[in-house]
Amino acid sequence: MDESRRILEHPILGVTEEKRIVHFQYDGKDMTGYEGEPIASALRAAGVMVHRHTKKRDEPRGIFCAIGRCTDCVMIVDGKPNIRTCITPLKEGMQIQTQYGVTAKTN
Amino acid sequence: MKRYDLVIVGAGPAGLSAAIEAAKNGLNVVVYDENSKPGGQLFKQIHKFFGSKEHKAKIRGFKIGEELLEEADKLGVEVVLNAIVLGLHPEKELTIKVEEEVIHVKGDTVIIATGAAENMVTFRGWTLPGVIGAGAAQTMMNLNKVRPGDKVLMLGTGNVGLVVSYQLLQAGCEVVALVDAAPRVGGYGVHAAKVARTGVPFYLSHTIIEAEGKDHVTGVVIGEVDANWNIIPGSEKHFDVDTICMAVGLSPMSQLLKSAGCKIVEDPKKGGVVPEIDELGQTSIPGVYAAGDVSGIEEASSAMIEGRIAGAAASEYLGYITKEELEEKIKVNESALDALRQGMFAPKNRGKLLEKTEEGVDISMNLLKKGYLLEEEVEKYPGVTKQKGVHPVIECTQNIPCNPCQDSCPKGCIMVGKNITSLPVVDTEKQCIGCGMCVASCSGQSIFLVDEEFEEGYASITMPYEFLPLPKVGDKGVALDRSGAKVCEAEVVDVRKAPVFDHTNLLTIKVPVEMSMKARFFKN
Repeated sequence: MDESRRILEHPILGVTEEKRIVHFQYDGKDMTGYEGEPIASALRAAGVMVHRHTKKRDEPRGIFCAIGRCTDCVMIVDGKPNIRTCITPLKEGMQIQTQYGVTAKTN
Repeated sequence: MKRYDLVIVGAGPAGLSAAIEAAKNGLNVVVYDENSKPGGQLFKQIHKFFGSKEHKAKIRGFKIGEELLEEADKLGVEVVLNAIVLGLHPEKELTIKVEEEVIHVKGDTVIIATGAAENMVTFRGWTLPGVIGAGAAQTMMNLNKVRPGDKVLMLGTGNVGLVVSYQLLQAGCEVVALVDAAPRVGGYGVHAAKVARTGVPFYLSHTIIEAEGKDHVTGVVIGEVDANWNIIPGSEKHFDVDTICMAVGLSPMSQLLKSAGCKIVEDPKKGGVVPEIDELGQTSIPGVYAAGDVSGIEEASSAMIEGRIAGAAASEYLGYITKEELEEKIKVNESALDALRQGMFAPKNRGKLLEKTEEGVDISMNLLKKGYLLEEEVEKYPGVTKQKGVHPVIECTQNIPCNPCQDSCPKGCIMVGKNITSLPVVDTEKQCIGCGMCVASCSGQSIFLVDEEFEEGYASITMPYEFLPLPKVGDKGVALDRSGAKVCEAEVVDVRKAPVFDHTNLLTIKVPVEMSMKARFFKN
């Protein structure tokens, strides 16, 4: 797992406790993250910035508020669209897809 | 339908404090919160709080959150998480979505402590991934331990913008600039100074013109604004960044109170649309109270006191405590609240440009415009003295409600006095022993120990240091001045860590004696 974006030791919060690593798929690619962390957190750590594209103008969107309020970070999780990835815990085997409008890309 | 003496919406500092107060008085209390974890925003606050002992000063926010939760738990307060309150009805009935189920509960009293939401501003490219709220940055780095970005530009110099910028530096991000359309820094000068001395430039009277990038942010262009908020042509500046952070204020989340039919007013001094409340926090509906940011944007310290007042008021409303007992509780809490609402940043002073401190000293305009004090300004303040041997130099220059430095000194060198917004005074008659307790206790990191007789031709400077890696004795590097500019070479001569310092390490460097009032930060 790429840990370059993770804070392993913090001057105030100390050493980050180790959590169980889980595997998930992002648009068909195999990725890993920590069990229970928000999906958005695992994606950001893996360098993924774009969570969805808007329906009308196909504009990219990503994390904005990170507390489940703005709904900018919604994605398709295990086939279900509009899942707020910033407050949904990551689980083993999750299928996460970029959302286009309210669906996955069909082609 | 389940009935409670008191239903509280929001498990942040105000809601939990209200629950604790009411449960102590014997009420049967339930707290609902839409998040999966309680504590509101407290667990993202890793800095030491201001105030006095009764405001839990110099304790870091997340520790306060842990204390509140523990106390609420001991008192048997029921906290229901993942619970979205959909409606509050005038007869104090609530409709709540808990997980996938909708329930109805009735409260004989109700306290709304829903807090606030972040504001945003729009500019070209503002919807690009990489443009985030300051709260999002805090969530990512302090809770989820993921750096929001490598290079960050912060928009907003209120306390949130300043504190989050510092936290970004602590998380290992580079902060390229702090930008604010206002002509002056909005937050505490001490918060600005601790960011500025690490080398982060401040651009006041500047705003963002454009966020650049196709799929995500790759850069940002800012420009200077004139008196009418128009961009001055030719003033554009570009920065390569991957993250733009917005800290442009908060708005009360008063929708539930509005839907219940409470009288609502628009009050810019309180941050927006707020319920009309009396001194107990009671809204226009008897038995329905509001506490914390929902009734006006302030600090978490104030929210906790407002929560306690509302909890006590609900207790009296239901007859659990007498009117006299309530009055006694109000008296204590009101005076604590009043103390927090004094000083340069008091609600009554919002938008005003003060030129003198309460003591009559000129307020540093450089601090307000650039985020740091000039050397010639520093010497005018009562915490800055010239003494033989080691002594504290307190660069606390604005009247803010805070006094932990006074109690920290075992020798009584530091005096704030009865009025907690007074500037700390260093008593030159008392002998400093160089213990550094004051340096670690200052929530604003504005206290240094200076010894101009450290060695022939050299002075030592002890500074608070909250970054990693922690330098080691013998490390050689450069000393930076208050603006973050390199001024001389420096060598680390002491590094002190102690549980009592609570992660504020004391770093002592040796610099040429003529640099003793210039050098204020160290870089390897």
